[in-house]
Amino acid sequence: MSEERVMSIISGVGIAGMTLFCLIPVGYIIAVSLSSTPDIFSQSMSVTGQNYADVLTSENLHVLAYLRNSVVISLISAVCAVFIAALAAYAITRMPFPGRMFLLFAVLAMSMFPQISLINYLFKLMTDLGWINTYPALILPYSAWILPLSLWILVSYFVQIPHDLDRAALVDGCTRLQILRRIIFPVAAPGLLATFLLAFIFAFNEFMFALTLTTDFHVRTIPVGIALFQGIHGETPWGQIMAVSAISVVPVIILAVVFQRRIIQGLTRGAVKG
Amino acid sequence: MRGRHYALKNISLEIADKEFFVLLGPSGCGKSTMLNLIAGLEKPTEGEIRFGDEVVASAERRRFVPPRQRNVAMVFQSYALYPHMNVFDNIAFPLRVAKENSADIEKSVHKTADMLQVTDLLKAKPGELSGGQRQRVAIARAIVRRPGLFLLDEPLSNLDAQLRLSMRTELKKLQQELQITTLYVTHDQVEAMTLGDRIAVLKSGGIEQIGTPDELYSRPVNPFVATFVGSPPMNMFEAELTFRHVDMLVKIGSTLLLLPDDLADRYEDLETGKVTVGIRPEDIRIAGDDSASMTEATVETVETLGRERLLHVTLAGQRLAILTSQSGFERGKKVALEFNTSRLHLFED
Amino acid sequence: MPSYSHSDIKGALGFTLPLIILLTVFILIPIIGTIITSTFKDISFLQKRFVLFDNYARMIGDGRFWQSFRFTLLFIAVSVPLEIILGLAFALLLNRTIPLRGLLRATVLIPWAIPAAISAKMWQLVYNFHFGLANYILHALGFSAEPINWLGSSASAFIALVIADAWKTSPFAAIILLAGLQTIPSELHMQAQVDRAGVVRRFFAITLPLLKPALLVTLLFRTIDALRIFDVIYVLTQGGPGGSTTSLSLYGYHLLLSGDFGYSSAVSVALFAIAFVLSIMYARMARFSEAI
Repeated sequence: MSEERVMSIISGVGIAGMTLFCLIPVGYIIAVSLSSTPDIFSQSMSVTGQNYADVLTSENLHVLAYLRNSVVISLISAVCAVFIAALAAYAITRMPFPGRMFLLFAVLAMSMFPQISLINYLFKLMTDLGWINTYPALILPYSAWILPLSLWILVSYFVQIPHDLDRAALVDGCTRLQILRRIIFPVAAPGLLATFLLAFIFAFNEFMFALTLTTDFHVRTIPVGIALFQGIHGETPWGQIMAVSAISVVPVIILAVVFQRRIIQGLTRGAVKG
Repeated sequence: MRGRHYALKNISLEIADKEFFVLLGPSGCGKSTMLNLIAGLEKPTEGEIRFGDEVVASAERRRFVPPRQRNVAMVFQSYALYPHMNVFDNIAFPLRVAKENSADIEKSVHKTADMLQVTDLLKAKPGELSGGQRQRVAIARAIVRRPGLFLLDEPLSNLDAQLRLSMRTELKKLQQELQITTLYVTHDQVEAMTLGDRIAVLKSGGIEQIGTPDELYSRPVNPFVATFVGSPPMNMFEAELTFRHVDMLVKIGSTLLLLPDDLADRYEDLETGKVTVGIRPEDIRIAGDDSASMTEATVETVETLGRERLLHVTLAGQRLAILTSQSGFERGKKVALEFNTSRLHLFED
Repeated sequence: MPSYSHSDIKGALGFTLPLIILLTVFILIPIIGTIITSTFKDISFLQKRFVLFDNYARMIGDGRFWQSFRFTLLFIAVSVPLEIILGLAFALLLNRTIPLRGLLRATVLIPWAIPAAISAKMWQLVYNFHFGLANYILHALGFSAEPINWLGSSASAFIALVIADAWKTSPFAAIILLAGLQTIPSELHMQAQVDRAGVVRRFFAITLPLLKPALLVTLLFRTIDALRIFDVIYVLTQGGPGGSTTSLSLYGYHLLLSGDFGYSSAVSVALFAIAFVLSIMYARMARFSEAI
């Protein structure tokens, strides 16, 4: 057999394996969520939507609250992070000021800090401010936490926009902010989208801050909600847990499928520049 | 200042109203910096810039008027068209920023588009246009609000040779129609000479000479201007300046050239001895066989330029280029030269 | 009148100020605060006392600290290479021109996009002793007579964690390495093919060396992330059995929960110091490879 054919077969097998590797666990979630018992291979298993019904209608499970919290907090954090990072990225790429390279690398360094090293102080701060278990308690640290990656990605996009466009706009009568709004944002729209998506996903998936800085369903996010999930009856309700999981990962999966090109673009720029 | 180097040093320049003024110089001479300073895209570290009576930038007085308040318009070498807007929106942009009402904007844009012949491109995006078309749109965008000052940074250098020629004529016509004070930057001396009312020749951040095209051509003040302006470039060679009674003579090898009176007057203060002499290729003739000329040169190479030829010869060890419409020259041939002595230029060493 | 040479810097300052403020308040100050707290004996409800290095001295003698430290290092040593190898394999597969590339890449992204906590919960079910998928598969393939108590013994818990983490993070490695692969000009491969080099040879002679920068980046990011590992362990094993799968992050967190703020801060400072040193080492390595 020629080398070509061998390679084709190997890659065919490889791709199949890769796909199974990625999707089987997800399939497992869905299977269990639709099953009457977590033991989906047992004889007594039957397909049912009861788990979803329980989870979506039962008040004390707070699933809808968790979802609402996660989506709102992630959206606001992502928008804040992208906007603030865009302002700074504009200044760094177009308004040369002393120390801008230092700023970039200082920001990069900050993204290396472990969350555990921050949580001590953050917890005290939020307690003192009386903000424990409020939206700001998560939105603000999240925005800060996502800023480094957002800044690096946006800088890599902005750097490619020719400076002549700015100069033309200045001569045409714009202030710097107007240039940002009318020229840079439209031209860099793909980059802004990529950054927003990444920011949203990071905020949505965040765990430690949410675990520590929230105390009940009013502010708790989905990841924490699922990790601490107690069924109505005390025993680990796997079916319901998987139902909640399925509901929660659907939006993220849809985002990933629809925007995969943008997301990948953003990730590689953020990482490779680093 | 740029980094540790001065991009421009000791510049003093005045441009008249409605004048088409050209900044000419090789790359890196600071001409683009000058344009940026006037537009307000850069700040002078020393000195002052005035529009009429208004001080628009002054280091000493700590005053700086930003571009948007200066009523200038600029065309960039890269055209800098906004890629996400169509042609109409590009041209309308300065008017929209100035918050004019849409009916007026519509009128102005159409009028300007007609002037630049881009009316049928109004819906297209910059990415779909050719270089020449983009340039017209850039010009349209610049003049749509009738600025007080029109700045152009090497607008023709990205176009192919034929387009460049036609655009040159159009630009000149446009400026005469609109009567806007224009400052035009280029490294191409042909453009400068054909377009400019007056030209400033720059080199390494300083002004070498300011004058009309004619003045620069016939009265260059130094070898740099002399060789930069005019094509093919002026010949420069080393000679000796001597006196014989009241006559001034230029000696090259064994050839003696007598300076006519007006030149002798002009150069009477020059010291005898070594001197740099310039003469344009078109001012040297290949003498006929009946000529009394004793100046013999050897042909090195021949360049055919259509109906004329550019001969490169050696005379007394120095290279000279001669423009002639005669033919039949080949390497090694000896030719007799006749210099048009009234067109000699002398420069101090 | 606008002021002179400062207006540019003022403008730049205005644009960067929100970023600087946010980062300072919520990242810089907390880290400094934690470092300072680590020099105090600070246990909830008790009086705070400045003790400078006492917490660190305690750390040196703390068996559980060293257990966490060893576990974290071992975890990094096993999972990072695994993730990179898997990621590289995926990247090589994705780099081929195959139909449905977009869909495949989206598929590979999915593990990365799912919250770690949810993924961990799912793996918890997978490793469930009674009805988990893992035991079912092993049984179906005829591997073991008895179901494995995955989460009940240190060794298997470790393996379970590594697999769960690798599943979630190989996509990230794959994406970065894919980008790196795409920067290798295909002419090089074509030339090598003309020179009769086989696939394996081309891989080691062309692909791997040119992939070095991307590999280094992936290595750095994955190492730092593995160092800070928390989410997966918290949900999957809670650090057990018997604290054998407690990472440094988790240890610090347990201390935090128990109210021992001072000592918890010291542990997290230690973790931070290790991450910092690693980043500097990487910066040096990166500069070396540039010079080469």
